[in-house]
Amino acid sequence: MRQILVNRLIQALMVAWGVGTLTFIFMRSLPGDMAYRIAAGRYGQDNVNAAAADMVRAELGLDQPVLSAYFTWLTDLLQGNLGVSLISGAPVFQEVQHQLSHSLLLAAVALLISALIALPIGIACGMRTGGWFDRSLLAVSALLRAQPVFVVGLLLILAFAVHIPLLPVAGYGTASHLVLPAFSLALVLAAVSSRVIRDSTQTVVQSDYYQFSRVKGLPAAPTFQRHGLRNLSVPVIAFLGVQLITLIEGIVMIESLFAWPGIGHALAHAIFSRDIPMIQGAALMMGLLFVILNTLIDLACHWADPRGQLA
Amino acid sequence: MKALLYILNPAQRLGAALITSLVAFALLEWLFHSGQAYQQNLSLYLVPPSSEAWLGTDPFGRSLMARLGAAIRLSLLLSLFCVLTSALLGMALGVWAAWQGGWVDRCLNLVVNILMALPGLILILLLAALAPGSFIVLYFAISLVLWVEYYRVVRAQTRVAVTSAPMESSRQLGFGRWYLFRRHIWPSIRASVLTLAAFGAANSILALASLGFIYVGLKPPTAELGLMVVELLPYYEEAPWALLQPLTAIFILVLGFNLLAGKIR
Amino acid sequence: MNVSIRATLSELIHIDNLSISAGEMRLVDALSLTLRQGTPLTILGQTGSGKSLLAQAIMGLLPESMTVSGSIKVDNTEVLTLSKTEREALWGPTLAMLPQEPWHSLDPIMKSRQQVTEVFQVVNNVPAPQARARATEQLTHLGLGQALHRLPGQLSGGMAQRVAFAAATAAGGRILLADEPTKGLDHNRRDQVVELLQGYLHQGSVLTITHDIDVARKLGGELLVMCEGKIVERGNTQNVLTNPQADYTRQLLAAEPRNWPDTTAPAFKAEKDQVLSADNLGLQRGGKTLFNDLSFSLHAGEIIGVTGPSGVGKSSLGDVLLGNLKPNAGSVQYANPFTRHRRLKLYQDPPAAFAPGVPLQRLLDELMRLHRIDPSRVPPLLERLGLMPSLLHRPAESVSGGELQRIALLRILLLDPVLLFADEPTSRLDLITSQRIMTLLVEVARETECGLVIVSHDPELVEKLCDKTIKLQERQP
Repeated sequence: MRQILVNRLIQALMVAWGVGTLTFIFMRSLPGDMAYRIAAGRYGQDNVNAAAADMVRAELGLDQPVLSAYFTWLTDLLQGNLGVSLISGAPVFQEVQHQLSHSLLLAAVALLISALIALPIGIACGMRTGGWFDRSLLAVSALLRAQPVFVVGLLLILAFAVHIPLLPVAGYGTASHLVLPAFSLALVLAAVSSRVIRDSTQTVVQSDYYQFSRVKGLPAAPTFQRHGLRNLSVPVIAFLGVQLITLIEGIVMIESLFAWPGIGHALAHAIFSRDIPMIQGAALMMGLLFVILNTLIDLACHWADPRGQLA
Repeated sequence: MKALLYILNPAQRLGAALITSLVAFALLEWLFHSGQAYQQNLSLYLVPPSSEAWLGTDPFGRSLMARLGAAIRLSLLLSLFCVLTSALLGMALGVWAAWQGGWVDRCLNLVVNILMALPGLILILLLAALAPGSFIVLYFAISLVLWVEYYRVVRAQTRVAVTSAPMESSRQLGFGRWYLFRRHIWPSIRASVLTLAAFGAANSILALASLGFIYVGLKPPTAELGLMVVELLPYYEEAPWALLQPLTAIFILVLGFNLLAGKIR
Repeated sequence: MNVSIRATLSELIHIDNLSISAGEMRLVDALSLTLRQGTPLTILGQTGSGKSLLAQAIMGLLPESMTVSGSIKVDNTEVLTLSKTEREALWGPTLAMLPQEPWHSLDPIMKSRQQVTEVFQVVNNVPAPQARARATEQLTHLGLGQALHRLPGQLSGGMAQRVAFAAATAAGGRILLADEPTKGLDHNRRDQVVELLQGYLHQGSVLTITHDIDVARKLGGELLVMCEGKIVERGNTQNVLTNPQADYTRQLLAAEPRNWPDTTAPAFKAEKDQVLSADNLGLQRGGKTLFNDLSFSLHAGEIIGVTGPSGVGKSSLGDVLLGNLKPNAGSVQYANPFTRHRRLKLYQDPPAAFAPGVPLQRLLDELMRLHRIDPSRVPPLLERLGLMPSLLHRPAESVSGGELQRIALLRILLLDPVLLFADEPTSRLDLITSQRIMTLLVEVARETECGLVIVSHDPELVEKLCDKTIKLQERQP
């Protein structure tokens, strides 16, 4: 238990260090007139002058020697001092905090929908592998997995927002705005997790201990409830850790496609407009989101599988 | 190569056929159409497919066939480079770490843990931000993310092989390292490495298209599948057939590699 | 009248003319038997004799691809005509079956007691507190009082076997089917299982399927000897085992280590060269001392036996002798230190010694090229070991265990070994094959003057073959 938390804390520090270093290199490799251009972006082309550019340069520590600037950069980062956005001028911390809550909402709803789709389908396929249901679901899953998540989102937009205008194309506001992005993510997640649940179900149902429970005298339903569900959930929860990567990457793509004001959208936008403090803040938040969700999954594994608690 | 075909299952053969047909399209298009992917002709605005332009033209009057061919070649080349690099690197380091153990293993694991602290696409995005539009940086970033998977799988399986009775027996009989690798380690990792290679190809194609789609990958006017989707999306109402082309190409490439990845005996 | 009714009442299982086929292959042929209240019935046969299918046929667990004919009556009810659900209703309250592999048969993430409790609760509708109390009582009775809250992974093989026994019989079935209940257990644990089975006779009766003659001997009751799907001999166990009629039974009994001819030569070693000497060897593993102060010497052509219960470090001793593992104390001195490739090992599991998927001939060729061995030495060795040359064209996995073990021996002999460590080389093989290989191994070691160390869990085998015995004891931590 403590080991899990310590390991994840180390991971969080690695994320911070990695993101901080990459953005620092990024900033140092900017061409000379970048500070001027940033200043121009912030104060308007007419108001910009050498003094404003110098101010930007000082703000980013570009006038200091590399090592001391790097040190300052990292200590600022560890203190949660993420600077201000070069584009909007607002404090990065405030912006990403807001965006993170939007992303969390999207992620939670997407995970919930994907579980609602994948669990019944995966278990049904795993109980009777090789049947027509199993084989047709395999085909559906293979077709879905061959689509990048943004194409799934695009096809859903074309189907349910353009052809049959049921739902808004993009944006944020009402619950209906959430439906298409969440479903796009959920479909992509369920395409893979339903197969993992299926394989896991099959392994459990064909196991010696499952058979032995029947031989002991337990009918099918109690056997599934007592020995099936718990055992099949162990590898499925562990697999969620792998799917987190798909989820986070999907968030970047889907938020950009649907203009969902979350952290992924912010990251892509910041990279496009070369807003370094925002890149750092958004990447850091994505990384921390990854670490936090991973920690939750670790704890769930710990809870579901008592074997680990003995070691 | 021919022997490989015999051990493929039907789904894998379908995958191989899909990839082969796209490779053939990309090569033939290159041989007979080369050089027209960037040539604009504004009088040819969104011309539907016809006997002159088999796949039609885009809003700038560029031949979609030429652009599609160039984009597929780009995707395939990138995936080939990335897979070769990451597979060789991951395999070499994985076998080394498992066989040597000790500090080699610990150092490599630390590197891998640092790389895995962030989701792959985020790392690629950050690296791509350093040098926008650079093919080399994309290649480097994608390979950097991909090799970790080979390393982990190869290391785990090599550890099993190294302590297995057959390998212990061969060592006892006096065989050298190269023989042990060829007879015991390679056969135990071969299937996984080939599977990972196919998945890796699909993933690098997806990554390239995804970056193009959110405008942080290669830059216009490069013919790239993700960029083509963004460019043709606004014309969906007028020319759905145009948007369908890059979407189909991505679909066939990824489906083909995913099918091919199915377990090889 | 009264007598015949009682006779049928005491018939728990009555099988008549049962045949089981897979396609054209007849796996069990016209088998008949009767299991009576209070009298254990044992079916003795080697692997592949079709004996395991019998238990599955009684339960209704045969694969659907197999066809069954004849009659199986359980409690005077014909079960072959029952529906799947009706047959499954017999599981537990009527038919109890012991699992072959208790470790795999227990839910890995459920505590021992719960796996018994749930049977009382679900099958016998006992309320939870009483069900728990009964499970506790049962398990404590079996000597598992400390293991109630352990997971299967924390149980030893013998404990897992007893938990599985409690779980399998909790629903109260009068008929206990035990299919190879002693597989992989050492002698002590085997005897414990036999006691459990005998204890069950008060409750009903036990049908045991085994390859182990000792298990049959200890159980008593009735015995059926099975060979290639047919019953070759039946009768009172004691009579059959002391006065066998069928050729097959005779062969089987002759292959028991206790009936082997004694081939030891404890006196001859003095004039031979010493191969190695072990001085005060000590080894610890995972904080546990496996052995201490172990000293002995091995001479050319001498045979040393190592015995002891599982897990006492017999295989580790081998690794120390072969120079693969450094002992924590003491040392091993070789008479000729430059013979590393001539100190070899014969594995317990024959396929373990060969790279899979490669024709054996190629593996041999590679070895002969490496050590510049004359290929003309192979045919005489093949003949000496009774092997068909065509076997070498196959990969290891398509050669039978007995043949593969002899090919492993052939490969070893090509290198002119000075030390051979045989780690239970026949424990996975049939009795008859086992005797053949052991005899060959000993003969060859004497002929080639190779020092041989044989590990076995069977003290009788070691006594018959080995000039000297090392007994490793279990140590209480």
